[in-house]
Amino acid sequence: MVFTSFNFLIFFPLVLALYWLTPARYRYITLLVASCYFYINIKPVFVFLILGISVIAWVLALLVSKTENEKKKKALFILNIAALLLPLFFFKYFGAINNTLAALLAENNLRWPLPEIRYLLPVGISFYTFMALGYAIDVYNEDIEPEKNPALVSVFISFFPLILSGPIERAGNMLPQFRKAQSPNYDMIVKGMRLILWGYFMKLVVADRLGIYVDSIYNHIPEHNGTSILFASILYPFQLYADLGGYSLIAIGCSNALGFNIVPNFNKPFFAPSMAEFWRRWHMSLITWLTDYVYTPLSFLFRKLKIWGIVIALLFTFLLSGIWHGASLAFVAWGLLQGIFLSIEALLNKKKAAFEKRHNLDRKSWYLTAGIIITFILFASSMVFSRAGSLDVALTAYRKIFTEPGKLFIGSPSTIIYFTCSLLILLLKDFIDEFYPEKFKMFEHQSSLVRIASVSMVIILILLIGVFDSSQFIYFQF
Amino acid sequence: MHQLHLNSFFTGRYGKRAAHLLMLVFTVAILDYSLGALLDYYYFKQQSGWLYRTTYALNETNAELIILGSSRANHHYHPDVIGQRLHFTYYNAGRDGSYLFYHYAVLKGILKRYKPKMVILDFGITEFMKNQESYDRISYLLPYYKTHPEIRSIIELKSTAEKLKLISRIYPFNSSLVTIVAGNPVFHMTKDGDKEGYIPLHNKWNEPLITYNSSECYEFDTTEIRIYKMLIQDCINAGVKLYIVASPYFHKLKSTECSILEGRKIAGLYNIPFIDFSGNEYFTARPQLFDDSYHLNDQGARVFSGMLMDTITGNTAGTPGMKLSGYTSSSSNRNK
Repeated sequence: MVFTSFNFLIFFPLVLALYWLTPARYRYITLLVASCYFYINIKPVFVFLILGISVIAWVLALLVSKTENEKKKKALFILNIAALLLPLFFFKYFGAINNTLAALLAENNLRWPLPEIRYLLPVGISFYTFMALGYAIDVYNEDIEPEKNPALVSVFISFFPLILSGPIERAGNMLPQFRKAQSPNYDMIVKGMRLILWGYFMKLVVADRLGIYVDSIYNHIPEHNGTSILFASILYPFQLYADLGGYSLIAIGCSNALGFNIVPNFNKPFFAPSMAEFWRRWHMSLITWLTDYVYTPLSFLFRKLKIWGIVIALLFTFLLSGIWHGASLAFVAWGLLQGIFLSIEALLNKKKAAFEKRHNLDRKSWYLTAGIIITFILFASSMVFSRAGSLDVALTAYRKIFTEPGKLFIGSPSTIIYFTCSLLILLLKDFIDEFYPEKFKMFEHQSSLVRIASVSMVIILILLIGVFDSSQFIYFQF
Repeated sequence: MHQLHLNSFFTGRYGKRAAHLLMLVFTVAILDYSLGALLDYYYFKQQSGWLYRTTYALNETNAELIILGSSRANHHYHPDVIGQRLHFTYYNAGRDGSYLFYHYAVLKGILKRYKPKMVILDFGITEFMKNQESYDRISYLLPYYKTHPEIRSIIELKSTAEKLKLISRIYPFNSSLVTIVAGNPVFHMTKDGDKEGYIPLHNKWNEPLITYNSSECYEFDTTEIRIYKMLIQDCINAGVKLYIVASPYFHKLKSTECSILEGRKIAGLYNIPFIDFSGNEYFTARPQLFDDSYHLNDQGARVFSGMLMDTITGNTAGTPGMKLSGYTSSSSNRNK
């Protein structure tokens, strides 16, 4: 079951009703059963994996907290981390490494003893593994108390709104909410429903429509000229934003309706005037996770190197982020590029601030616009690697962009018309939210008539131009 | 305590909240009904375009020869050549991106009205491969759910919830707005140049021939196989001559695709001719006859249609470089 399936439209209201009708202290059990059912509907066998990870996280975190001896404690912690990472490594990276080695050896007429491995990647494994890791690290660092109830740890790791594509939540935020007996809050339910609706608009109307065009180009790079590849490369970041952003809103909206406060995942990223700011607005839950558990400890470790310590920490963090996103050299290149962009910004930060101050640039709209455009170009150019999926294809795409101009591929004119209109609506809303947050409110307008009209129009737009038979969410394979 | 929470939830502004919710439902219902009705009206007022061609095939054509299939059917069977050779009136009901479910539904719609003399079904080399897209593309038929009860069972193969989704009047016309506008003369759009449903392609392919290694046979979609058998049976029951044809591709396979083998086997069980041009060397040696590696251009369609007519009429002697694969002339004559 996925959020955009018709089954989910039946499943969620039923779970919502059941959840609020369950006596408060047992509600987490309703959620655990619903989450298992949700996951079983995707691929039944992998429910055992997620429950196994939950049990490992629960047992080892308890053991870590009860152990007084620091050495033993550290050993148990490392065991916990290794045990949690093992399934992710096995399913996501082992096959890729094995097949690459086999291919390399075969080129030199050598034989690799293992056969080619093609596992089905358990859906959402990168997300719930990071949530479990966060729990293990927080308990080890004594930031949170270990949870004694295994069902609560399980429901945290397998919570169905977040299981497939995040946001990547923290135990410190979620476990108290699972423990607490909450009463239904009308405003929170309505807020959740609005987020769900806008999430569906982003996903079905914007992302999946853009995806039709982008896929038609990127799945046939050799057949397209540079102009079409460039256009698809410009559109792809918007597609990804609408896809993951929309999915996150549905996840957050569902959680809100169930009474949970969830961290935001996107904050109008395409209005960021610098890469550093961009990464504070894009996939925020992943970036804060990486900041807390990777970047901060690393920059502390390298603090003696001063600014170069920060550069090393940035490069390593984003390299890891690239590897997390995909088991291929293209994702490594993507991650490294982000690290390089951010490192350059960090190195120039003082000079840039002085320059802006001297020329009073920080309040000038043209300067802000230029920053937004440059940031977008940097991000979009790095995304060629992630969309291409392999270094070869990415380099071919770049070569064609710079050497093979031509007529823009249109394909289906209706697709272009639909995605242009829907993208404009999305960007206009983000623009208003960014620069005029108190004006032009639609869903939160004081007048109920405006609210009803806005909600109705979005529902009608989804029915009219939403893509209902679309491919899987892009982030499913991450 | 629990009861208390629920009570507090429903008290206070309950009436106002319920009124807002009702207003929302009412507004959405009104908009859905009125916009859906408008789309329905203009959908069936179209005079050109691929949506119109489906309506024409289902509701109006009385051609003696019907071509069924996907885009390859639409671009491969030249009406001038076929009309001249068979002396049949012709309509090409091939539609881009359609699969067996769609072809069968069109056939059912046609057979409900009249019996054509001949039907040619264009058969893709991976026709029976399990593919979600083949079910998704059943959406082409959604506008006809109400008016064509004979195809409802096919539409319901799309998903179990299809009946429920069709409560919305907009849903059957999802993503069709621009096409509907383009197909209506009232909006003064340019008509596309179809000739009895056939759309010529004019590009000349100049890429090298790709040879694909034969892959292991994939899992067949048993529902598609069932539909294929039903299509054959319906033609036999109606006394319609059916030819199943795998038209040319500009790529080479090291061995025959298993869908072709299965399709030929099933056709043989019903004594229906299965004509395989999918690996025909005459075409794989001539990229200039193709628009892309999957579609013949207009010139290629003329050549192929001529060869096909030779095969159907049993006159293969004059066809240059002709080498048919997977076809026995005896089987082609059985159904005449």
